[in-house]
Amino acid sequence: MAENGANAMVTLTIDGVEVTVPSGTRVIEAAEHVGVVVPRYCYHPGIPTRPAQCRMCLVEVEGRPKLEPSCTLQAADDMVVNTASDTARTARQSVIEFLLVNHPLDCPICDAAGQCMLQDYAYVTNQLESRVDEPKRIMGRDRISEDILYFADRCVICTRCVRFMRDVAEDDSLIVAQRGDKAYIDTFPGRELDNPFQGNIVDVCPVGALVHEDFVFKARAWDMDATASVCPGCPTGCNVTIDTKENQIVRVKPRHNAAVNSWWMCDYGRGHLVMTNRGVRAEVPLIRDGERLKPVDWPTALDWVAEKIDALGSPGGSAVVSPDASNENLFYVHRLLDRLGVAGAAFRVPQGETAALPTVPTLKLRADRAANVAGAELFGGRRVDDLPDGPAAGGSTADGAAGGVLVVLDDELEGAGEGFGGSAGFFLYLGTRLPGAARNADAVLPIATFAEMDGTFTNFEGRVQRFHQALRPPGLARPGWMVLSRALARLGDGEAVNEVRGAFERMAAETPAFAGLTWDGIGLKGIPVAGSAAAAVGVAASPEAGA
Amino acid sequence: MNPVTGGAFVLATVGKVMIFFTMLMLAVMLATIFERKVCGFMQDRSGPNRVGPWGLLQVIADGLKNLLKEETMPEQAVRPFFLLAPVLAIVPATILFAVIPFASPLPTQWGLVEMIVADVPIGFLYVLAIGSIGVYGVAMGGWASGSKYSLLGGLRGSAQMVSYEVALALSLVPLILLTGDVRAPEIVSMQQTFTAGPATYSTWFVFPLLVGLFFFFVSGLAETNRLPFDMPEAEAELITGYHTEYSAMKFSMFMIGEFAHVITVAALVTVFFLGGWDIPFWQGDNIRVLSDGTVIGEPTWWKTLLTLGAFGVKTSLLVLVFVWIRWTLPRFRYDQLMDLGWKFMLEAVTVYILVIAFVILGIEAVGIPAGGWYAFVLFLVNLGLAGALFFAMDRGTLIRGGAKGAKSAGGDAAGQGG
Amino acid sequence: MPGDVKVVERPRAESSYVRAAAKGMSITMRHLLSPNKKTQQYPDEKWELAPRTRGTHRMAVHEDGRAKCVACGLCPTVCPVNCIKLVPAEDENGERYAAIYEIDEFRCIFCGYCQEVCPVEAIHLGVHYENAEYSRERWVYDLERLVEQEHDVTALWDPQDPASQ
Repeated sequence: MAENGANAMVTLTIDGVEVTVPSGTRVIEAAEHVGVVVPRYCYHPGIPTRPAQCRMCLVEVEGRPKLEPSCTLQAADDMVVNTASDTARTARQSVIEFLLVNHPLDCPICDAAGQCMLQDYAYVTNQLESRVDEPKRIMGRDRISEDILYFADRCVICTRCVRFMRDVAEDDSLIVAQRGDKAYIDTFPGRELDNPFQGNIVDVCPVGALVHEDFVFKARAWDMDATASVCPGCPTGCNVTIDTKENQIVRVKPRHNAAVNSWWMCDYGRGHLVMTNRGVRAEVPLIRDGERLKPVDWPTALDWVAEKIDALGSPGGSAVVSPDASNENLFYVHRLLDRLGVAGAAFRVPQGETAALPTVPTLKLRADRAANVAGAELFGGRRVDDLPDGPAAGGSTADGAAGGVLVVLDDELEGAGEGFGGSAGFFLYLGTRLPGAARNADAVLPIATFAEMDGTFTNFEGRVQRFHQALRPPGLARPGWMVLSRALARLGDGEAVNEVRGAFERMAAETPAFAGLTWDGIGLKGIPVAGSAAAAVGVAASPEAGA
Repeated sequence: MNPVTGGAFVLATVGKVMIFFTMLMLAVMLATIFERKVCGFMQDRSGPNRVGPWGLLQVIADGLKNLLKEETMPEQAVRPFFLLAPVLAIVPATILFAVIPFASPLPTQWGLVEMIVADVPIGFLYVLAIGSIGVYGVAMGGWASGSKYSLLGGLRGSAQMVSYEVALALSLVPLILLTGDVRAPEIVSMQQTFTAGPATYSTWFVFPLLVGLFFFFVSGLAETNRLPFDMPEAEAELITGYHTEYSAMKFSMFMIGEFAHVITVAALVTVFFLGGWDIPFWQGDNIRVLSDGTVIGEPTWWKTLLTLGAFGVKTSLLVLVFVWIRWTLPRFRYDQLMDLGWKFMLEAVTVYILVIAFVILGIEAVGIPAGGWYAFVLFLVNLGLAGALFFAMDRGTLIRGGAKGAKSAGGDAAGQGG
Repeated sequence: MPGDVKVVERPRAESSYVRAAAKGMSITMRHLLSPNKKTQQYPDEKWELAPRTRGTHRMAVHEDGRAKCVACGLCPTVCPVNCIKLVPAEDENGERYAAIYEIDEFRCIFCGYCQEVCPVEAIHLGVHYENAEYSRERWVYDLERLVEQEHDVTALWDPQDPASQ
């Protein structure tokens, strides 16, 4: 902030348009307010240092003899900036031409092709032929960490990666080695790049020099569909973009949310999300037919389940839910448990290592390895360490005897015994997968994972964030809220919903914590629930919330 | 030398049946390849040329293919008649050949063998009788297939054949007027020795009965179901009409029947109008076996071969004309076909019989003896008739389209004009 | 005859059936006797194809026999009928190559865009048309098959007339 106060505003003219910005704003940012994106390599809004070394963002300022780098130039009153003047354009074209002197032009095999700033700007300059006769210097590629490849020939030495590690992750493990046309990025001698947030250097790389090994040669930029989502790795709830190709998640990138993860996310979250492609899924509803589970279609399964539940009345029992379930799923399970007289569901939270990004206090890899721990608690869940076992494993009735219901929502039932659920009067299993311990279930209803449906998570500080459907669910699997709303509708409780909007609005109407929230109102950045830590800090502290 | 009699006659007849049947089938085979070659040439193509020299073995290949192909039996078909129809198509065309003389009689050590399978006294009446049976194959095949297209084809076939049967028969009446006999060998002899006495020379009936030939030929075309009279097949509208549902060898039998029919009609035209096995401008082949067994002329084996060759050449040329017409003229419309048959051919032939009869009466009244002048007068009359006929046809009054023709009833006018 | 049938009144001179038939017969006879037959004896003599004929594909190879394809994905992207299936992978040298490269020639419309777009001149259309097969599956050419093709490749332009004038 400039010394004349946070509220001081300056007015300047950029490309003939007048704009008023807070004092201290850089010209490159002010230009974005008027819709002018000045070409840039070394400037990244999430990296505090601005070395102005790529010389790409040079603009002409009237009254100054030389071009100025707009990333470091502070906006000032009466400044007249021209980003597209001939001089500025020529300067930019020269920069591109120099960058291309040694560039291998291997766009056909480069994973950044289509999302490459060098490619974009080179097209804009429209210089179709090289004027260089000399052979290009060839450096090859390097593995700068366990899972990040460095293609030195493509690198434009913008040093975003070096500065991310040094200034954001505060880990001086990357350096620029050598000088001039021999410069390349390397780890500091004797150091290794093993930061839990190192994957972000791939995201900040403006060209295809840094590529994550999981993604190399996997998909072209134009083959992928991007979907706004939320990382389910831990309760932080980093905003992410899921890139899918042919119904598979191929890449996860952080999505900017100043209140949660800023521009970054951790490597655990990336790997965790890509891992969701794996495993065998439950794809068809199953109902108990004597000794075996019989595959049936949805109406049959739901009719059968509704009939059973209707006949049971309110026997009591127990329930296990997954803290990875969405708010809507948890809400409908909660409704179902209410009807059955089960008081509160148990949930287990796997634990893991923690990691923190020093300069972004809200962004931490938290020990709880589940997306919606806060949501599970909001809906009356009890955090437990072990599955209910002993006499309760079968779901005790209201008076404590075996024979009550047992409802499991997408818990993998790790550590469940052979006879888990065997003594329950009715054992309903809703899950994305079909673990062996579910073999005693009376009905298995296949549901979609978070990536296959729309929904919301509540993060550690009570922020409700939307995620969107990125994949098609396999087989007959359907979103949990869709399945449960239909089962409940058959029991006379509410209506069957087809869209998450309906599920969310019913949840908001019937749950005090979500009162007043609407699906549209959450937006892509999320809103804190009433009474949460985030709400206490206030919406004002996170200006982008609700945007 | 006398004609063979007794056991030798029976043996000779059996031998002739076998040899002539084989020859006919070979001729059919050659006719198919001939037709394909000719049509290919007419369309500037090569015709079949991949199997054997000049594609001659194509017929064998096709025959093999048809033997090996699946015989389909439509569910709706009436099985016994469906199987009988191809037989009925092929048998009449084949046995028609029995009364056709091929060559001059062959002298053997057992006696003179006439080169005709059966010299029946009723002569071409047999031809007319058996020729009419051919329609059963078409009608039965069309009906027994249980298919609408086939049925339509069969119906068309029977209607067409019945219509032209009449004209076919009537067109031969002037021939009887001229010859006074219906035996085919006798008709051949008549043409060889139209004049009595030593200065004999051939007068083929094509000259004195030119218009008769035209009527016979047109009716023959219609009888064989070939273009422009192939209404029963009409692949453009009826798929292929009565043999739509037939496959493999049964289909092949229809084809064999058709080609056998073509050859038979060509042979009949040869016998009736082109002097049969007569070799023109040569009197050495004037060999005649009278009904009492007397042999006039000097039969030798080489004369038999020569005359057989002459017969073959004439018949082949007529087959060529059939093919030529088929690949030139388009198909008649059905109403035109019927109009032509009933409203024109029938009347015109009747008028023609009357004219010829009166002319013959007139000539004999004047006292011109059978011979050159006799034939010449008839030829002139025929030329006149032909001129009138073609003039009438050329004005577009006979084969006409729709409403206009219905109003003017041009067929009758043309018939009277002829 | 239904009343709405259109009756064309032709001039009499034109409606001469006999003359028309005679003329037709003379034409067919002339062709029958003409030695000038147009049939090309196909398997024995073959049609000479233009250098820009677009037929079934062929993959160009390096000197060591590897396909030139770098699996850039441009051809499946540009293909208007989605007949190219490409799965890129990394070989033992870290180079990008096509682990699966299949062209469904049945689906292909032979537009030639794949050849035009190829940055390494690997995939080509061929001057070739004899590609009958006994099964549909054989029409899906995999990389090995594309490499094995031996016919000439399609020229993208006429060297004498590069601008198609």
